[in-house]
Amino acid sequence: MNTLVIIAIVSLIAIGFYCLIITRNILKIIVALQVLVKGAMIAMILAGKLTDQMELAQSMAITIIVADTIVAVIGLAMSIQLREKTGTCDIHSISKLKR
Amino acid sequence: MAGILIPFLIFTPWLTAILVWFISDKHEEGLHQFASAGAILSAILSLLLLSQIGDSTISFAKIGPLFGNLSFSTDALGIILACIANCIGSLTVIFSAEYMKHEKSLARYYSMVLLFIGAMSGLVLTANIFMIFFFWEITALCSYQLISFYNDDPNAVRGGLKALFITQFGGIGLMVAGLLIFGYTNSFEIGRFIQAAQGGEIPANVLGIIGFTLIIAATAKSAQFPFFTWLPDAMEAPTPVSALIHAATMVNAGVYLLCRFFPALEAIPGWKMTILILGLITILISSLMAIFATDLKRVLAYSTVSQLGYMFAAIGAGSVLACQFHLLSHAIFKALLFLCAGAIIHSCGTRDMYKMGGFFKKIPFISVTFIIGSLALAGIPILNGFWSKELILESIHSGTPIIIYILMLFSVILTALYTIRCVWLVFFGEPRSDLHVHDAPFLMALPLGILSLGTITSWLVFEPFSRSLSNSLPLYGIPKETLSELVSKIFWDPYTFLALGMVAIGILVWFLRNKLPLHNSITRKIESISLNSFGFEAINNGVVNGINAASEAIRNIQTGSLNWNIFGMLIGLICILIALMIGGL
Repeated sequence: MNTLVIIAIVSLIAIGFYCLIITRNILKIIVALQVLVKGAMIAMILAGKLTDQMELAQSMAITIIVADTIVAVIGLAMSIQLREKTGTCDIHSISKLKR
Repeated sequence: MAGILIPFLIFTPWLTAILVWFISDKHEEGLHQFASAGAILSAILSLLLLSQIGDSTISFAKIGPLFGNLSFSTDALGIILACIANCIGSLTVIFSAEYMKHEKSLARYYSMVLLFIGAMSGLVLTANIFMIFFFWEITALCSYQLISFYNDDPNAVRGGLKALFITQFGGIGLMVAGLLIFGYTNSFEIGRFIQAAQGGEIPANVLGIIGFTLIIAATAKSAQFPFFTWLPDAMEAPTPVSALIHAATMVNAGVYLLCRFFPALEAIPGWKMTILILGLITILISSLMAIFATDLKRVLAYSTVSQLGYMFAAIGAGSVLACQFHLLSHAIFKALLFLCAGAIIHSCGTRDMYKMGGFFKKIPFISVTFIIGSLALAGIPILNGFWSKELILESIHSGTPIIIYILMLFSVILTALYTIRCVWLVFFGEPRSDLHVHDAPFLMALPLGILSLGTITSWLVFEPFSRSLSNSLPLYGIPKETLSELVSKIFWDPYTFLALGMVAIGILVWFLRNKLPLHNSITRKIESISLNSFGFEAINNGVVNGINAASEAIRNIQTGSLNWNIFGMLIGLICILIALMIGGL
């Protein structure tokens, strides 16, 4: 059972990182972040189970859900603004760093 | 009673600062009046607090096991310094009403000054190292803001940044010491730390690290060797700010820190000697630089650095009483000197002493007050600087090797020489240019009068001063001396007359400067080294250029591209995982 959960965690985190590395579209970045954080949350719950601290794991999971939702909401709001102001969803096109 | 006064003392200036910010620049008259009222109120509160000196600690709120208690101590060490900060603060705010008239962004100026006054009270009154760090950084922020007050002047901005960066070394030292103390005593309380250090609970090597990181903190904040270069550049600030922050209060925070931790750290081998030698090097270097400087405010800044060196030397010789007494005297007469310099600069518009001259007849009131301040600086009886300086010289003579005493006597010559040079160039001789000057208006003259009265009489409080220090700080071994004991001790000591002889030599050297063989290659060499601040300016510039080059070199890794950053994070994560696996095997 634990092995299955570990495989799920690793694959979720791997998918999240892979998306973050290859994509430039802000909507896809937000989706990737969601996937990544869900993997981290399951890891947290598994750790709680293994160390017999389920209450702690539960509160951590709820905290992660709340924080994650805030990230998603603000990210989506910013992506709408980005689309309205610049007409694009590509985050590279708005970078102003000197290269 | 003290439990009510202390929060009021911290929050009165802070609330006034917020209100002043809301009044905004449109109502200039209101700004001046409101800021002065707040500052005077806090000065009165601090004077009331003087009656509450005792050895108790007041805790307000428990802010969790991590930060300890929000506690304040009511011993004389903190309360006297808080009193100095608030009283001189109120005088400088009154002075500012005239000096800063019709300047832009006055709301910012007054808010920062009042924020500083409140933070300084908190810094010296709190008994919690975490809170000391908190207030310490607020004072650094205010100092930076006020040095860069004229923010369209590149010199001011540069001076402010330099002060901020160099004093941050002190912040880092304080933080390391605080964390080590917390790690070994499980508490941020200073009293607990002193108990643990004296009881041998902390290993000797850790105590040594704590002691020397605190020396770094103190030298950076008090502008001592090797961190002294920021103070002369801080003179770009408006002069009342220089008087308050860079002469009378904030630069004393380092000295205060060493005094506060003195009983815990004095047993560390070499700790006191290090402080003594640092102080001595600072005195000699800064006095030489003061002799050759041409800017009136820079001369005063160098003399501040050297007087702080005297306080360091007193701590090094083991006399907290002499150190604190000189701190009191110095705060009064240096604030007086700076405010006089401010009045002069305000009326003639230049800081170059070689353009002044012959001001004595034109501005008699400012001249007399400035000369009173300079006589105290040079250590002429019976002004306050004389008593405290003799007390320091006596403690150094009795507690340290004779060579250090001889070097201190040499520094007395240098002090007298740069003081008389400064006074002579500004007030006597023939006018070197046709500058128009006028005497101080009432709001400027009032603080000058009060401070010069203080310079003449503040040594009379020696008896209650030493009694309160000795009663409220039982661990420090401070002797209880009466005024008559002080007077007889100093006047019957032949070494006092030796020191006075040195002052006379310094003054004579100035008057005989054209007859003595001073214009030779050696003095010219010393002059050029001094004007380059003994190579420390070059070291500073080297560090700045080095950091610039390094950041330019690693700019390429800052792509600003999310994909590369994530890739870097992933690589880092994998490295950590591998390290953990190797560690686990």
